[in-house]
Amino acid sequence: MLGALETTLIYTCLLGSLYLLVSLGFSLICGVLRIFHLGYAYIFTATVYLTWMFMTLFGTPPYSTTVLVIAIICMLAVQAGIAVAIYKGLIVRYLQHEEIIILGLLFVAIIVEQAALRFYPIQTGVYLETTVIRGVSQLGQVTVSNQLIFAAILGIVITGLFVLFFLKTKLGLAVRAISYDIHSSRLMGIQVQRVFMFVMVLTLIPVILATLAIAPIWAVDPYMGWGYMSIAILVSVLGGLGNIKGTIMASYIIGFVHSVVGFVFNQPVYMGLAALVVVLVMLIVRPQGIAKSETVW
Amino acid sequence: MRAGGQKWEWHIEPRYWRNPLIYVGILVVAPVLIYFIYPPLLPTIIEANLLAAIAIPLALMTISTGRMNFGPQFYIGIGGYTAALLSIHFHLSPGLTMLAAAVGGLVFGFIMSPMAIISGGLYYSLLTLLFPLLFLEATYIFTDLFKGDTGLSGVAPLVSTGYFSLNLLIYAFISLTIMLVYLFAMDKIFRSRYAIQMAAINDDEEVANSIGVNVNKVKILGFTIAATLVAVVGWFYAHYYQAFSGQIFLPLSFMLKIFMVTMLGGRTQIYGCVIGGYFIAFLEMILIRLTGDMSPVLFPIILLILLLVLPEGLFGLYRKRRYREYMPTLRFRR
Amino acid sequence: MAEILKVSNVSKHFGGLTAVNDVSFSINEGETVGLMGPNGAGKTTLINMICGSYPVDSGKIEFLGKDITKLPPWKRCKLGICRTYQIPRPFPELTTLASVCVSALYGKDRPNRGLEDAMTEATHYLEFVGLFSKRNVLARDLTLFEMRGLELARALATEPKLIFVDEVMAGLNPVEAEKAVRLIEHAKDQFGVTVLWIEHVMAVLMRAAQRVIVLHYGEKIAEGPPQEVANNPMVIESYLGRG
Repeated sequence: MLGALETTLIYTCLLGSLYLLVSLGFSLICGVLRIFHLGYAYIFTATVYLTWMFMTLFGTPPYSTTVLVIAIICMLAVQAGIAVAIYKGLIVRYLQHEEIIILGLLFVAIIVEQAALRFYPIQTGVYLETTVIRGVSQLGQVTVSNQLIFAAILGIVITGLFVLFFLKTKLGLAVRAISYDIHSSRLMGIQVQRVFMFVMVLTLIPVILATLAIAPIWAVDPYMGWGYMSIAILVSVLGGLGNIKGTIMASYIIGFVHSVVGFVFNQPVYMGLAALVVVLVMLIVRPQGIAKSETVW
Repeated sequence: MRAGGQKWEWHIEPRYWRNPLIYVGILVVAPVLIYFIYPPLLPTIIEANLLAAIAIPLALMTISTGRMNFGPQFYIGIGGYTAALLSIHFHLSPGLTMLAAAVGGLVFGFIMSPMAIISGGLYYSLLTLLFPLLFLEATYIFTDLFKGDTGLSGVAPLVSTGYFSLNLLIYAFISLTIMLVYLFAMDKIFRSRYAIQMAAINDDEEVANSIGVNVNKVKILGFTIAATLVAVVGWFYAHYYQAFSGQIFLPLSFMLKIFMVTMLGGRTQIYGCVIGGYFIAFLEMILIRLTGDMSPVLFPIILLILLLVLPEGLFGLYRKRRYREYMPTLRFRR
Repeated sequence: MAEILKVSNVSKHFGGLTAVNDVSFSINEGETVGLMGPNGAGKTTLINMICGSYPVDSGKIEFLGKDITKLPPWKRCKLGICRTYQIPRPFPELTTLASVCVSALYGKDRPNRGLEDAMTEATHYLEFVGLFSKRNVLARDLTLFEMRGLELARALATEPKLIFVDEVMAGLNPVEAEKAVRLIEHAKDQFGVTVLWIEHVMAVLMRAAQRVIVLHYGEKIAEGPPQEVANNPMVIESYLGRG
């Protein structure tokens, strides 16, 4: 009994913090830009495969750390570029027609996935040597890889930085204002377009970090984006779209559900289904999500 | 006010009356011509008819609920798996499996229709998006039943004359019949008083409620009927390919194809769905012929470009010349 | 005269705010009753509750002897209650004719009405409010006065026994206001409806209403013939303040 409790607690913390990284960006875009970034999945796939592409471009196996770092920097630049291109090309033009935005973003995700599949099929053995801390640790009765602990801590740190950013800085204030009332924000002189673009690039960061941290220990394949995106969707919907407080709470709730189903009942296949059931129940009981508001804080 | 409705401007104008017949004539004659000239085009025609046959009920679902269902392929899965499983394990005839598929679509549609009432627009879209993906996951989990990885095979064919091309021709006509029946039915519905009801609900649900429209009934009916019709298309897929795998029909790529058919056809214009269906099917075929294995990458790219360039669809190019906005337009609610 | 609407002790709370507090009144057939009160008094909330848009927190509403407190709005409409909206809510993408057609088709208890018959009827109502020439114009392209007329036509097409007219004068110039009042008086004569008129403008109610009910902060503070109510000190205080 105590062992199960311990396992649950540990995995809830680990998974919850990780899911925070994954979902924060999605939730923010929902809350600030008020669109559903259904192409969110492309960020995961693009991170991994762009880095791999740059690695193969600049170096030969076995890849040294320098090559890795250069590749990551190039990838960041390209990702930022893609985000801005998506924003300018798609979102700005069709903010009134949400169906077009949703479909367009989905298309982007599919294009990236198919391109990755075509150029780097599953057999290529894409592997990112981004392990920061090697080895495993024993936390009570549970053995977890150190990398996972690192990722979890990273999640908490990044979320903390985000919260500080939104609460203390002027730009963060602008973002919050926009999520409350976009028209008034415009009247107050906030340059909404620029802030939107900034938010789009900002939300890349937690996702990229999460992907890079997780890549060595969890599977990497062109379809990986969808799994993470459905977690992001579930967490965001549960926590109230766009609300950071709600997202934080929801990440740990979903982490809890996953750890209970996956590690205590030992039925990892049902994790997704269980999470969905929880979210559905929540939607019926309290459609606005945990935090009853749809603003950033 | 004349009875017969031709003077009333809400309809498509009277002189379009003759066009549908010519249209239908072309659609009926084309497969026969292709059978004699170049039979390998027949599968494309079948695919086109089926895509249109999915898009047409989807228009009904969208207009009657006032929200966009981002997971219509869920009902293809229901219809297809019902038909395939019953055919393989119980050796039921295709007629019976069609009935079963329709019933399956009806039941699931009815169970899921309250979503259109309870959830607001954005949540509704999310949930409908997720359901097919969950179905797919379920086929992997319960893999002994659904054979998630490989798909079910060994479904009885609808026809077997012994000649491959002749089979294809008959399939083409069956798919054409399904599509035309749907088209005719939807056309009737959209010209009837039910369409006004749905248009009113689309515009302002609360006001419609207060002037006597039973909003919930309309939504549930529209959703359920559309789900049933889509499930029947799933039935056809199962018997046509003599196999059914969720991996082909449930993921997002198929959904995007269906949506492009809708978009190219001008969102809720059902005649446009036919054009859209043929366009997409032929586009895909041409891409595969020309580019081979790059086509899964190029196809979405081209579709994305089409989406951005033609937000009103191909019909929009025509519409822009004479702008008359009397059909209930789609409003995506938050 | 028979009593057609009886509202007993209805209340509505929104969180901590009490919008309507224990209001009771009744309306007899053929009357024109005015409902007055300063902004925020709860008039529109009360109407919303009677029509079914908001659920009632406590109390009872009876229409023609039937308890309608739990009925959905569309059922109440079929029984014979209809309303217009303070800020006109036309069906923006439908033509004027189509809008009235919806009510003609679905507002009454006649399930098998055909589309053409409904359209014919709709034209009668449009003619009555003077919008026949605009029957093929999209509802969003109308002027404010025309939209108010459309609202009235739409409500009348449901063949109501009781109609709630919500602040028809707002935003109209004196000429249009006069036309609007006459229109509603005609509607009473022609269609035999009972009218509950929510209005700020006292002059209108003086002339048109037999009885006036005044709400203030969700409570009924006065009821009676218009002259009496106009001279009631509490009513004057609610509008102008004390002192």
